[in-house]
Amino acid sequence: MVMGLVLLAFPLTAFGDYREEFEKGFLTKTWSGQQPEENFCIECHSSDKMKPEFLTIAEEWKASWHAQNQIACHDCHGGDPKDPSMSMSPHRGFVGKPAPNEVPEFCGKCHIGILKNYLESDHGKAFRSSGKGPNCVTCHGSHGIQQANIEIISEQRCSKCHSYERARTMKQALFLTEKKIAELSQGLLNLRKEGVYIDDERMNLFSIQAEFRALFHSVDVNMVKDRTDEFSHKLSAVENRIRATERELRFRRNFSALILLFFVSMGSVLYLLIKTPKE
Amino acid sequence: MEMIQRIRDWLEVRIGLDELIRENLTEYRVPKHINLFHALGAVAVVGYVIQVITGICLLIYYIPHADHAFRSVQDIMTRVPYGWLFRQMHVVGSNLLITAVLIHMVTIFLMGNYKRPRELTWVSGGMMLIITLGFGLSGYLLPWTQLSYWATTVVTSIPTAFPVVGDFFTRLLRGGNYVTGVTLTRFFALHVSILPPLFVLFMALHITLIRRIGLSATPFGKSDEEKRPLTEYRKKTHPDGHPYYPYLLEKQAFMGMIYFMGMFAIITFAPTFFFPEEATVPADALKTPENIRPEWYLLAPYQMLKLIPNKLLGILIQIILVAVFIFWPFLDTHKEKNIFKRPVLRGVFIVLMISMVILMWWGSR
Repeated sequence: MVMGLVLLAFPLTAFGDYREEFEKGFLTKTWSGQQPEENFCIECHSSDKMKPEFLTIAEEWKASWHAQNQIACHDCHGGDPKDPSMSMSPHRGFVGKPAPNEVPEFCGKCHIGILKNYLESDHGKAFRSSGKGPNCVTCHGSHGIQQANIEIISEQRCSKCHSYERARTMKQALFLTEKKIAELSQGLLNLRKEGVYIDDERMNLFSIQAEFRALFHSVDVNMVKDRTDEFSHKLSAVENRIRATERELRFRRNFSALILLFFVSMGSVLYLLIKTPKE
Repeated sequence: MEMIQRIRDWLEVRIGLDELIRENLTEYRVPKHINLFHALGAVAVVGYVIQVITGICLLIYYIPHADHAFRSVQDIMTRVPYGWLFRQMHVVGSNLLITAVLIHMVTIFLMGNYKRPRELTWVSGGMMLIITLGFGLSGYLLPWTQLSYWATTVVTSIPTAFPVVGDFFTRLLRGGNYVTGVTLTRFFALHVSILPPLFVLFMALHITLIRRIGLSATPFGKSDEEKRPLTEYRKKTHPDGHPYYPYLLEKQAFMGMIYFMGMFAIITFAPTFFFPEEATVPADALKTPENIRPEWYLLAPYQMLKLIPNKLLGILIQIILVAVFIFWPFLDTHKEKNIFKRPVLRGVFIVLMISMVILMWWGSR
């Protein structure tokens, strides 16, 4: 009785803003489907009032790797996407479009390891000394950025500034490790489809990949070759764990099939018993 | 063998074992035209027993805390020896159990076996179905995944459509304004300590009523159901019927095997059938998944609520439907048991079933 009273008393002491929450969500919106967050950056950049050169930004971002990973406008540019009057206020951290010489630091706020290797590379040095070297957006683009892959290193892109030979050597040095990372990522996704929790392993693979790609930004072929073994070893450990999980799933399937067979046999025997005439 | 005989003798002089067996197995008579559908109640009992056993196994390793629930369930799936088997049996079993209970009630309805003097048997069965759905609902949140978190958020919003008591009831369920760790512990308490004794109570009542009133014969064979005025208690004993053992017990055991076959067929060939991708992602209150929808057995009422513009009206209609379902034996006073001789009821039933299937399909899209 006392427990019952306590149970009833507890919720009564909670302050309720249900009505408001309920009326906003439950009564006015459908119960399922995506509930988009309010984002005035996207709203303005998609409106007719926007200058044509800024109109494509929102669409490019929506199709980007950043969007897929919930990296929104304000994560890079600052500002407040929920308040139209303050969305571009420096008081809310709005920095707008970076000047070309600010681009590496702009992206490097998040991609710290890559920034370090890039600044120490020939690309970074050329960029800092003359302002003419490639920066992040030269190879990766900006708003429409896609998941980085080895195909970014291409004759068309690299030969804009120098001969492709050195880049080709780098691509060859990267190829096997990148291929392995792609295979393992796919392997993990397949495990998720089988109902396996993979987030820890995925984060592990992601950090190996990030470390490897940071290394690549040094554009030092010898360094990449020297450290490839180290990465191969780490990736082999991930691969072994994936294979072990796949074996475990196969075992589970076979084990439950055996139990199924047992019940099918028992069912058949009972069926024959039912059909047997009785005294 | 001698040892077994000694145990038998020991029990015989103390509890009258032979008489017990005779009264409950060989001399207990069941109707002549009894069919496999009469065994569905026993299948449900088997299903509940499996849920209890596997549930206890899970309980040993599960941690009912928002910070640990998801991880503990993943540990059960990956680190606890055969933990995956117990969890799969529990999850698949819960869905199969609801299916078995629903089929059981539909067949009872079709055979008219809810009619007097079995009104209370039907009501107790209906209450057991509602408690079973309560088990499903409360158990759904426990793995603390994106799927379970958001489905619970939607379902616990429903009572707020009621004036005056709605807010209170939702707060009572959630233990606060939102689905949080407090909700998790409440649902856990509901799942393992509040619903089970309630369920056992109704189950005991249900089985006692069946034994006290006697099994009803199927109206599809040679109808032997009396149409006498109900003026005094008279147990239906079926003196010309078959003994419970082996006639019905064999059928019950066979249907039990069918139940297990269904369970292990799903675990073997479709192990992720009840585990969509959101079920492997930990709950995140800040990230709403794209498709929130309740379990399949709540899809029809869920879609119905979506279709009715006024939510209060929608919920009231559903409550009325549930009340009609539970108290149907008191509303249907027609003496004819055979639904094939009642075209209007048969038509209504077919329309209802088709509507349910359409709403379920619609709700799943």
